[in-house]
Amino acid sequence: MVSFDYKTAVTTLQELRKSGERKSELVVFLGESLINRGYTGKLGDEVWSVYEQIFIAALDLENDQLTIKCLENLNKRFPGSPRVKILEGMKLEADDKLDSALALYEDILKEDEANIAASKRRIAVYKAKGQDGQAIDALTRYLDAVYNDAEAWLELSALYLNYHLYQQAGFCLEELILLQPQNHFYHLKYAEVLYTSDNIPVALKQFCRVLELCEDNIRALCGIKLCTSRLLNLSNISNASTSNSVYLESKTISDLNALAVERLTAIYSKNQHGGKTAIEIKNVVIDWLSQS
Amino acid sequence: MSQPLTSMLVESQALYLDPAIRDWVLIPIMVVMVLVGIFRDQVTLLIGSTSGKKAGIKAIRETKALTRGVTLRNYGNNIPSSSFLIRKNYLCSSYKKGDFLKNPASANQVVNPMTDPAGMEMMMEGMKKNFAMIIPQTVIMGWINFFFSGFVLIKLPFPLTLRFKTMLQRGVETPDMDVTWVSSLSWYFLNLFGLRSIFTLLLGEDNAADGMRDMAAMSQMGAASPGQPQDFNKLFLAESENLELTPHNWELDDIEVRLLVKYGKRELVDNKDIIEMEDISPISSNDLSDVKGKSKKKRT
Repeated sequence: MVSFDYKTAVTTLQELRKSGERKSELVVFLGESLINRGYTGKLGDEVWSVYEQIFIAALDLENDQLTIKCLENLNKRFPGSPRVKILEGMKLEADDKLDSALALYEDILKEDEANIAASKRRIAVYKAKGQDGQAIDALTRYLDAVYNDAEAWLELSALYLNYHLYQQAGFCLEELILLQPQNHFYHLKYAEVLYTSDNIPVALKQFCRVLELCEDNIRALCGIKLCTSRLLNLSNISNASTSNSVYLESKTISDLNALAVERLTAIYSKNQHGGKTAIEIKNVVIDWLSQS
Repeated sequence: MSQPLTSMLVESQALYLDPAIRDWVLIPIMVVMVLVGIFRDQVTLLIGSTSGKKAGIKAIRETKALTRGVTLRNYGNNIPSSSFLIRKNYLCSSYKKGDFLKNPASANQVVNPMTDPAGMEMMMEGMKKNFAMIIPQTVIMGWINFFFSGFVLIKLPFPLTLRFKTMLQRGVETPDMDVTWVSSLSWYFLNLFGLRSIFTLLLGEDNAADGMRDMAAMSQMGAASPGQPQDFNKLFLAESENLELTPHNWELDDIEVRLLVKYGKRELVDNKDIIEMEDISPISSNDLSDVKGKSKKKRT
């Protein structure tokens, strides 16, 4: 963090902007150095997006001086631009003036109803104010128009989960799987939602899918273990309940159960170097595995 | 024999150009071309910024709704069949009813770009841009043709074959002159096509000064006609048909077996059995299951 090089700083900032990673401290450090050493003139037109980036990072760290400086510069260059107005709104949000921020976003949306950033910020304000109902409402309307926004679907599913609306959350996660079928995290979330809403056979299949996409995923292994134990207990009690649309052979289930137990034991006995807590965790896991 | 030939060559090359031609024709043409390019870039910025109206939320919805169907068709196998069917039915009926259209009332009308204000604006914008491109070019070409037609401006420092004569000596109809001499009109064309990198240097990567671009745009005009708005109703109906024909083979149908094979808990024999069973199944799903079989082998 001590050494500072103009070129690497600029490329790091560029990469962060592209990937959208939230490394606010790094951005603020690099940005402050850029500004204080007077490199801003050298950046050319790129300086404006750098200012925006630094501004958002500085909001994260509550670095008021820096935010004001960036915002002033941007306002001078782009007076009346909706993108800068949204930054102003974010400043208001950070200062806990949610109502005035909301009014600002409403203004922007009145002029241009298709402003995606403004509608997203508005939803964030609803959430911050605790008006989850309105947030869900706004999000569904937003997603109806901008269907392929994966982050918004994820947000909506999280909101539904807050209210134990598993079916709705499951719907959102299905959409996410459609949008990014290779992302095992969405499969995992979907599987957990299915398990919670007591759709065990499909949940088991989804957990298997996660394990196929991401080898030795611990959450998926635990999920398989839970599902298979449930299913084995159920089939002991009554065979009729397994006559669902999804049929699973009892041998396959017990095989999966054995597989999950084996992998979990192997994984937890592997990392010995964690000290006392690791051993405790291992004991807990092995206890749990032997119980069910 | 060789002496008269060389002397002839030397003779033909010993053409003396007035330095005033360099100062008052060659360099001015180039400077004017560069300045016009910069001017045009600025004009395009001006026109673009004044009439840069964004698409409404309904228009966004219209285009995204189409991708929704495509996504479902492509990746629908990743979700359970009940979820797939719900989405399929919803999307098909909405497509048919025209729920996603910008203005549902116009579902059955033929879209006329003249009546749609957005389409009209798009057309106007295209026209404006084209005018900003064409007018300066015509004016400069007229200027060069009028004042400097028949001027020979420079001599290229390398030899060229005869075929370049028409390219480099446009406006100078002398069959005997060496090919390396460049006429004024050809100098104009060389500048028109060759200044791209200079503009990139002066104006940055994404500039509108380049003469090549409007040439490309003009050649495209006939084929695609970019000003024409798409008829979404037709697209939606086609998409709903495609969607209705899409079968659903849940990727996760035999996931447990696949997983057990992957971890070496089951023999591959099981897997082969499944592939054979799928091969017997109706022809419609035949190629699909083949693909699945291949991917399975890859995974194991």
